[in-house]
Amino acid sequence: MKHELNDIRDDQIRVIGESLPERKFPRWGVWAVSAILALVLLGLLVIVVRYFGDRRETIKMAALRAEEPAYFEPVVEQSRLVIEKQVAADTPIWFGQRVDESLPGFTEMKDTAINDIPLRLFIPHNASMSLHIGKVSKTDSSIVYVAQAADVRADNGGIVGAFVLRGEPKAWGLSKKGFCASIDGKVTVGVAENSPLFEKATETGGYFFRQYPLVSNGQLVENEPKGKSVRRAICERRGEIFMVESGTEESFHDFAQALVDLGVDQAIYLVGSSAFGWAIDQDGNRYQFGDENYYSRGRRKMPKNTSYIVWRKN
Amino acid sequence: MKKHLILPTSIDLVRIAPERIVYIASDGNYSTLVQTDNEVRMLSFQLGQIEKMIANQLGSDGNLFIRMGKSLIINRSYIYYINIPKQKLILSDVATFNHTVSPSKDALKQLKELLEKEIKS
Repeated sequence: MKHELNDIRDDQIRVIGESLPERKFPRWGVWAVSAILALVLLGLLVIVVRYFGDRRETIKMAALRAEEPAYFEPVVEQSRLVIEKQVAADTPIWFGQRVDESLPGFTEMKDTAINDIPLRLFIPHNASMSLHIGKVSKTDSSIVYVAQAADVRADNGGIVGAFVLRGEPKAWGLSKKGFCASIDGKVTVGVAENSPLFEKATETGGYFFRQYPLVSNGQLVENEPKGKSVRRAICERRGEIFMVESGTEESFHDFAQALVDLGVDQAIYLVGSSAFGWAIDQDGNRYQFGDENYYSRGRRKMPKNTSYIVWRKN
Repeated sequence: MKKHLILPTSIDLVRIAPERIVYIASDGNYSTLVQTDNEVRMLSFQLGQIEKMIANQLGSDGNLFIRMGKSLIINRSYIYYINIPKQKLILSDVATFNHTVSPSKDALKQLKELLEKEIKS
């Protein structure tokens, strides 16, 4: 590029899109250059022949020792994983674009694939996270992202795990180790049995909920539930908070591994499968996920303690 | 559809019909694009990069533009007046805009010769 930028002088002009005019070169010069090239090539040929003569045996041995590609246990997958990890480590500090703070809030959506799992990243910009219990209004134009947060208890309809709504504790359970708090506009995702952020949320009018832990300090966390489903998570990577949704049905383990390979530092689960939610992009387009009519069809009734994380424009 | 020149950066993108560009001037690591509606747009590209984009995207249609020295790309459609001793080049549609630029005298001389040659061919 440097050469291209400097290959014109101030006293020259060039019509763009046309090849450069051929430079006149004296005939004797052509012969001289050809002769020198021929000599150099001859010299190189001699060196190459001698070199390969000496090295032939060594190369033969090296070929015998080299790793052979196996059909049933290919090593290709491993090396690809290493490359993907390197890509994750080399990626820019944040996945999201830099956005002018004066712009209205929106959710940036980015698609990627890790370990053949398609992932969609939802990166909120100029927005703050809160929690909400009960149905969220689709007409609320301040919302840029909504997804179901904590699970609902099958026995008594309560919220699974500790839950603080605008400073008010709604549940105190510790069955799930993952937690997410939004206090004074700062979102924290982590994994801990006890977190002082629960108390802090109650003291400062903040928000707190618990879910399955997926990634803790860059390490995968194993979970009990088996089976495959569309998975969602809220993640923290190098200080950036974003949500992730798998494009295919995945086990907890594979989804968490994909997040680890994405370079995520902390991640906890969000209700996956057909749980309804949406995101609003910079142009105001709505991307919906899950099943909007899940609770309006048949005899199913939406549990009254269904909770959501809601990102609203600042 | 008519070809547009697309200049994308990591955060924004400019898409403009080539005939709407009057000239592009180098401004350090940036370039300044002057449009026929007299709007001036700062681009985060060096002039050489823009020249390459013009050539890649417009192909032979890129000959609408002429690189003049290190710091200027002009749209040949708007060449209106060349004065070599005064080192003056006026780009104008003789209706709505009129911009004066000052490439080197040698570059202006070559531009004049190029235009004269085009009459003959």
